[in-house]
Amino acid sequence: MSIRRVLALAGRIVRQFTRDRRTMALIFLAPLLVMTLLNFVMNSSSSGLTLGIVPPDGPFGAALVSQVRAQLNGQGGVTVKTVVRDAVDTTLRDGDADGVLVFPATLDSSAPAPVLRLEGSNPAAAKQLRGLVAQLVAALASQQQGASLPAGLTAPVTATPVAVSYLYGGPQYTQTDSLAPLFVGLFAFFFIFLLTSVSFLRERSQGTIERLMVSPLTKSELVMGYVLGFTLFALLQSLIILLFVVGVLRVHYAGNLGLIFLVTLVLTIGAVNMGIFVSAFARNELQVIQFIPLLLVPQILLGGLFFAVATLPVVLKQLAYVMPLTYANFALQDVMLKGMGFSDVWPDLAFLVGFAVLMVVLAAFSLRQERV
Amino acid sequence: MGDELANAPVALANVSKAFGQVRALSGVTLTVRAGETFGLIGPNGSGKTTLIRLLLGLGKPTGGTVRVLGRIMPDRRVAAQIGYMTQSSALYSELSVRENLAFFGAIYGLHGRALAGRITDTLRLVDLLERVDAPVATLSGGMRQRVSLACALIHQPRLLFLDEPTVGIDPELRMAFWDYFARLNTEGVTILVSTHHLDEAARCTRLALLRFGTLLAVDTPAGLRRESGQEDFDKAFLYFAQRQSVTAEAQAQA
Repeated sequence: MSIRRVLALAGRIVRQFTRDRRTMALIFLAPLLVMTLLNFVMNSSSSGLTLGIVPPDGPFGAALVSQVRAQLNGQGGVTVKTVVRDAVDTTLRDGDADGVLVFPATLDSSAPAPVLRLEGSNPAAAKQLRGLVAQLVAALASQQQGASLPAGLTAPVTATPVAVSYLYGGPQYTQTDSLAPLFVGLFAFFFIFLLTSVSFLRERSQGTIERLMVSPLTKSELVMGYVLGFTLFALLQSLIILLFVVGVLRVHYAGNLGLIFLVTLVLTIGAVNMGIFVSAFARNELQVIQFIPLLLVPQILLGGLFFAVATLPVVLKQLAYVMPLTYANFALQDVMLKGMGFSDVWPDLAFLVGFAVLMVVLAAFSLRQERV
Repeated sequence: MGDELANAPVALANVSKAFGQVRALSGVTLTVRAGETFGLIGPNGSGKTTLIRLLLGLGKPTGGTVRVLGRIMPDRRVAAQIGYMTQSSALYSELSVRENLAFFGAIYGLHGRALAGRITDTLRLVDLLERVDAPVATLSGGMRQRVSLACALIHQPRLLFLDEPTVGIDPELRMAFWDYFARLNTEGVTILVSTHHLDEAARCTRLALLRFGTLLAVDTPAGLRRESGQEDFDKAFLYFAQRQSVTAEAQAQA
């Protein structure tokens, strides 16, 4: 193994990609763009939603509506409007409200609980309104404890006062907090896989691989050079993502940078070698892209980004447990959110090392074919 | 004869190569002498590339032995003394001419002043010294072929394998390439070059005519002309091809 040859190869890869401005932007800026968008989507307040209120009859009704309005004022622009009792469905159908909270006509001790009627075609909006109304009713109830409040309001809320406490995180944690670690792993894996397979494909199509194959460069030096070159990009990318999510998106972060880099490094070695192996089955760039839905999308869907792995159906759970990204996600979440150390995440790391070794073997095998 | 075989830069003894049912080479025996330009001439599909790939160690012969610089191929130990170039320029187009040469030089263990010196020397040979910092992507096809030759020469190989290096370049540059080869011969470099341009045959020291994976004849250009009684290499090639067909038929009948 000649270090000089490995460095020459790694240096060439770095040089080639730093020349390619657009690819640089893709590696370093695209993750930031995606995360910013997600940050907005995930934590968007309920702005734009309209909640209709059918107040109880009598003077108390108007007072209740203004109280609701005051209560929702801090909730990021939910519009509150009064709706006539027999026009509830018409209002929803016309799109004038996303949900209507219907109070019983008379509020006395025998009155039923208020009913929330939802438009319902957009589950996200429906879910948001449901949460909002639950909070609202709870707040109204606590404010008016003992006062002239309808029994229907007090009963369900005050019945079960649950105290909540957090082992990790806290009420201030948002979706972005839990997703940030997953994106560090995802972007490293995705881009490094893509870039390696495309640049290896180019080596084949432009014929430079033959030049290398007849030179004194050995296959292990070739693989090492590629790993080294792309690891630099992967670590830099992770660092930029971390700085961005911690500094700009203000994600809560309890982790150890060295350990995050270690996870990224092992994941990158797997991704580079998977790229080399897969490029042997692609004849052009388009065919490399065709591997994305096959090899990457399942990992993105099942690896914990959208659904907690533990909640998946049995078959999919088993599938998730053979995917490298799942383990990278476990490890990165443990490190970044829970502040865990090496002694806690080593089983996940061990799986990633195993994956990397398997990919190195497959890559070496695909390079062996090159000589015949 | 034994002595010549041992010392010859390239020696093939009864070499055959089959890919499945397809016989790409059969019974090829030839030697290339030190310091000559040996031409491998034949139409597309005659086995030229297969032969050169065996010489490079990119594959094993099905039968016979391929000896390069005294070692039976494939053998990685001769890699540092061999230069290789094909019709595809095989360069990194994002990088400059200098960066390409520096990369391949580093792969062959060159660095520092020695590397810088070789970059200058090889670019001077191919008359591209003034374009040393140009990105390869901005060069014309002919210039890229010259850079490609420079890359193949960066580590001062004793032996150069060129697989159709002059395909797709204009006649003027083709002449220039053969001038480079002649200059390299005077520096002691042995060249094995394949081509399907029969008009290039006259520039070789000796040449082998290859057809359907078998050798038709191996001789100097003058010797082949004399034997076939043809001035023109196109006609000479046809003469040897016909002679072989007749022999083959006679053998089949016997």
